[in-house]
Amino acid sequence: MAAGMNDERTSFIAFARNHIFVTLFGLILPVALFLAFIGCPIVYTIYLSFFEWNGMAPAKTFVGFANYAYMLGDKYFYISLENNLKWLAVSLAFPVVLGFLIAYAMRVRAVYLPTLLRTVIFFPVTMSLVAVGLMFLLILNPIFGAFDSVLRGMGLGFLVREWFGDYRIAIYTLAVVGGWAFTGLPMIFYFAGIGDVPKETFDAARIEGAGHFRMMLRVALPQLRPVTAVVVMLTLFESLKAFDLIAVMTKGAPFGRTDVLGYLVYLESFWNSRFGYGATVSVAILVLSIAVAALLLGTLLRGAFDV
Amino acid sequence: MSEAAAIVRPNRTWVRLRYATPKIFATLFALLLAAVWIGPLALMVITSIKPNSEFLNGPFAWPIAPTLEPYRKVWQGLNFGVLMENSLIYAAAGSALAVGLALVPAFALSRFEPPGKRYIFALLLTGLMLPQQTVLIPLYDILRWLHLFDTRIGLILVHGVYGMPSQILILRGFMTTIPRDIEKAAQIEGATDFQIFTKVILPLAIPGIVVGYTLNFIAIWKEFVFALVFLNSEAIFPVTVGMLKLNSDRYISAFNLPSAGLVISQIPIAILFILAYRRISSGNFVGSVKG
Repeated sequence: MAAGMNDERTSFIAFARNHIFVTLFGLILPVALFLAFIGCPIVYTIYLSFFEWNGMAPAKTFVGFANYAYMLGDKYFYISLENNLKWLAVSLAFPVVLGFLIAYAMRVRAVYLPTLLRTVIFFPVTMSLVAVGLMFLLILNPIFGAFDSVLRGMGLGFLVREWFGDYRIAIYTLAVVGGWAFTGLPMIFYFAGIGDVPKETFDAARIEGAGHFRMMLRVALPQLRPVTAVVVMLTLFESLKAFDLIAVMTKGAPFGRTDVLGYLVYLESFWNSRFGYGATVSVAILVLSIAVAALLLGTLLRGAFDV
Repeated sequence: MSEAAAIVRPNRTWVRLRYATPKIFATLFALLLAAVWIGPLALMVITSIKPNSEFLNGPFAWPIAPTLEPYRKVWQGLNFGVLMENSLIYAAAGSALAVGLALVPAFALSRFEPPGKRYIFALLLTGLMLPQQTVLIPLYDILRWLHLFDTRIGLILVHGVYGMPSQILILRGFMTTIPRDIEKAAQIEGATDFQIFTKVILPLAIPGIVVGYTLNFIAIWKEFVFALVFLNSEAIFPVTVGMLKLNSDRYISAFNLPSAGLVISQIPIAILFILAYRRISSGNFVGSVKG
């Protein structure tokens, strides 16, 4: 092990000697910036999670694991955690699956006008979630909203709900709106991925009489594992990030029922001035994302990120 | 003979129709889907040109006396001129910084086998996947310490550094597709790494740079959390933060004002989208992320 490290070090010095420009600006500069603006903040967050600090006072009070103990008893922490998981479930079920289906349908030419479909579904990916949130606030408005009048017009009036007011469904409303804006991304990834699968593979399967369902399951998906890895990771972090929509649409209402961990961090740190506790929740997000990412990469998607 | 052929091979149009029928049904379904995606946007555009008096005619009523008054009101009320200018500065400068920082690393990772390459990739993926909220507090602190809190430069710096990892991956993916014959020839003639980078790789990488820059531009234009936390003065707010005002009683009581506001906020990106659409939506940049 140590010998291996040593080898790597000597060979790095040899490499640096031969390629000064590349080493300096291609390796050392980005790593230094990474450490300064991404690495250090992560360490600092962990450090801060052991302190009580209002963000202004020069002194931080060391409190040990008190913030963590508080977190484990905090009702809103659990609500937020649960909401993040709900958000993830919706995101995997709706935008990812739909994105794949659309990409597949376009690639095997199962529909006319594939370009139109692709353009229309991809466009919201370029929209800011603040704009998306505002738009759906208007559309889902309980009195003047377009969505409810469409439902009533189709004779489905009994489905009308208080989309943001009902604490049981508000988080799903948000997640579906998020999914609407997100679908284009998995679609584009799968679209590119299926394009890379040799055409003969599909042709061979078709000659053997495989229907679309079997082609997707047996031919496309196994070949697309690396793409799926990227898409699932993106979805995971998109759902852990879920913040913009909540800040615009509900601000956690009703009664903090639409809080997610990311919003809780913001709320506790910058509104309640409890930076220590905010950092603790940040650490929870960090641990969660590392755990899930490790799980995904280690088992389900082994080898997908090989360089 | 011809009769037998007719039996074996049924009428052509019939065959074509038989194969087309499922496709037609699939297309109808796809159009329905497209309507779900285009509908809300179309509705916003229609709502934004209705005068207040038509608001009660229902969300789908066609505007009888279309007006641009909501645009004028919202443009002045929110000071959209300033917001747009700020967003433009952040997106243009932040993306330039991100791409600028990413060029040599992308060159290094596409052309060389530096020891410890996989650690660098691990760092890049971390930077790419890190939830913003986990670094919000330290960055806030660092920016205050650098006296860059609530300044344009501070936000641009953060955007640049956080855009860098994805730009490295995108540009590296593009650079690996550049054939090595030319630089081999240059190498034989004794060109240095720096010369190969500036004379050979950079000119050939311009299409990749354009794609990377565009994607980053859009990402910063959309960005909300960093701007919300790291800025305090309204004068330097980007569109995303300034737009929050639309969600207040003053604007949201009549839908035409917020609709007009969000149409305005989307116009620059819509233009960019139309210009760069072919490159972006082909998904070619995706290959780079797969490593």
